[in-house]
Amino acid sequence: MKKRIPQISHAEKRVYELFFICIVILFVAGTVYTKFNPMLLVKNSDNFWIFLKEDFFPPKLPKLSKINNIMESVFVTVTMAILSATVAAVLAFFFSLFASESVSPLPKTAKLVRGFATFLRNIPALVWAFILFSSLGIGTGVGFVALCITSFAFMVRAFAETMEDISRDCLESLQAVGTSFPQRVVHGILPSCMSGFLSWFLYCVEVNIRASTIVGMVGGGGIGLVLFSYIKSFKYHIAFSIILLIAVMVILVDLITSYLRRELNK
Amino acid sequence: MNSTVSSPEFHLRYSRKGKLRVDCAQKERTIPVFLTIIAILAVGSFFFLDISWGKLLSRLPGIGTIFWKMMHFDISNMNLVMTSMMETLSITVLSTLYSLVLGLFFGMLAAENIFRLRWFSRLIQCIFTFLRAVPTTIWVLLMMVCLGMGPAAGIAGLCVHTTAFFTKSFAQSFESIPAETLEALEATGVGRLGVFLNAVLPSSLSQIIAWTGMRFETNFCECAVLGMVGAGGIGFVISNSIQGYDYGTAGIAILLVFLFAYSIERIFVWIKKCIR
Repeated sequence: MKKRIPQISHAEKRVYELFFICIVILFVAGTVYTKFNPMLLVKNSDNFWIFLKEDFFPPKLPKLSKINNIMESVFVTVTMAILSATVAAVLAFFFSLFASESVSPLPKTAKLVRGFATFLRNIPALVWAFILFSSLGIGTGVGFVALCITSFAFMVRAFAETMEDISRDCLESLQAVGTSFPQRVVHGILPSCMSGFLSWFLYCVEVNIRASTIVGMVGGGGIGLVLFSYIKSFKYHIAFSIILLIAVMVILVDLITSYLRRELNK
Repeated sequence: MNSTVSSPEFHLRYSRKGKLRVDCAQKERTIPVFLTIIAILAVGSFFFLDISWGKLLSRLPGIGTIFWKMMHFDISNMNLVMTSMMETLSITVLSTLYSLVLGLFFGMLAAENIFRLRWFSRLIQCIFTFLRAVPTTIWVLLMMVCLGMGPAAGIAGLCVHTTAFFTKSFAQSFESIPAETLEALEATGVGRLGVFLNAVLPSSLSQIIAWTGMRFETNFCECAVLGMVGAGGIGFVISNSIQGYDYGTAGIAILLVFLFAYSIERIFVWIKKCIR
């Protein structure tokens, strides 16, 4: 008689089975609804390669007079991402003080601030951009505001969680000796949470670089707008070199931020 | 006894007025330097961008008007909104699941401690770093050229970026598994695949679930956005109705996006609690 000892507990196994069934149901429902067939991709891959070979390779440089313009729009994208992340971080710091229940002087408002941030965060940046375009007009400024809103909401949550993780004991002892709220912030929260805040800030810059490219596409200025205009006018060779440029930009920023993060965590 | 007090690290420091200084002697220099650099960069980009702030501020009340208009929900197009919402959801689910499978496979190849081919892992990592660096929207635009408009392009385009993301994060969590565990299994004569299935996968399962949850949320947002470039789904409804001044429909679509995004977030918070 063969009797095997189960490797994981029965309850755990049931949870995993339930998960698996849920996922299969979702998968089947999605496939039926969209009629997506991965074989279609394989079947159309010839088309894809032809497109890549004829329309994309080799990447062609745009006219010399345009290159200056393109480099400037890259700078616009990068600066937009950095500035919006910085402004959002400063605002988010003050708001997040009121968003975590253990820190805030008014614990009752914590839920309210969090709810507000959740509302802002769960609407994607591009939808914000569309809402803002219809009220503020098109331009770099509007793209900046749209990025600011989403990164602000994201950082309020991240900062509040950082504060809750770290500083409960420290804050309690500070409170016991009779410090005021601003003193508690400066001497208790800032020293212990600063590196956490900064690594979230760096993450936000990374996200914003990508997002500002996309927001640019629908009218926020920067490299996204340039790329979209080339794609729209079927100049794929030039579009490809701009895509490469975007990739280089993103990789460079990722490298810099990960280097800085390592420095911070030393 | 006295040696600790008189050692160079502990000597007493006095300020100019003769008071005892109480601030930390070995201050961390990184963070202040870092903050200064950020401040300089921010000011620099403020002047570089040259946004006309006055104009922007004067138009701010417009946002209120738009929101007011959007609050007047228009349910006459509810059918269209619901079908495109379903489409968005299924694109999200399918793209996440397909890239989960692909990501596990490529993550296995990209982790240096599973296949001991260093150059091969490096190569895979390089390829996926490039794929990840190009924003999703561009992939979707490219896929649309090959597959035509519609959800298939959305799924394929999202898959590229998501697979690249999963490959990197899964490879990282695979590599964080202690080498002793792998060695112990190998010593008992288990093959490479057996090691992967019995040691690597179970111990990184919770991380994989966390990454998948996070990516599912992002994909939903991305997916709501992709419609705006023409890949079907709710984004198309939103951009179309805002451009056609049909704010009631846009309002209800945005509300739905918000509700779904919020409930997905809650569900994954709950799942994470369950697993712990």
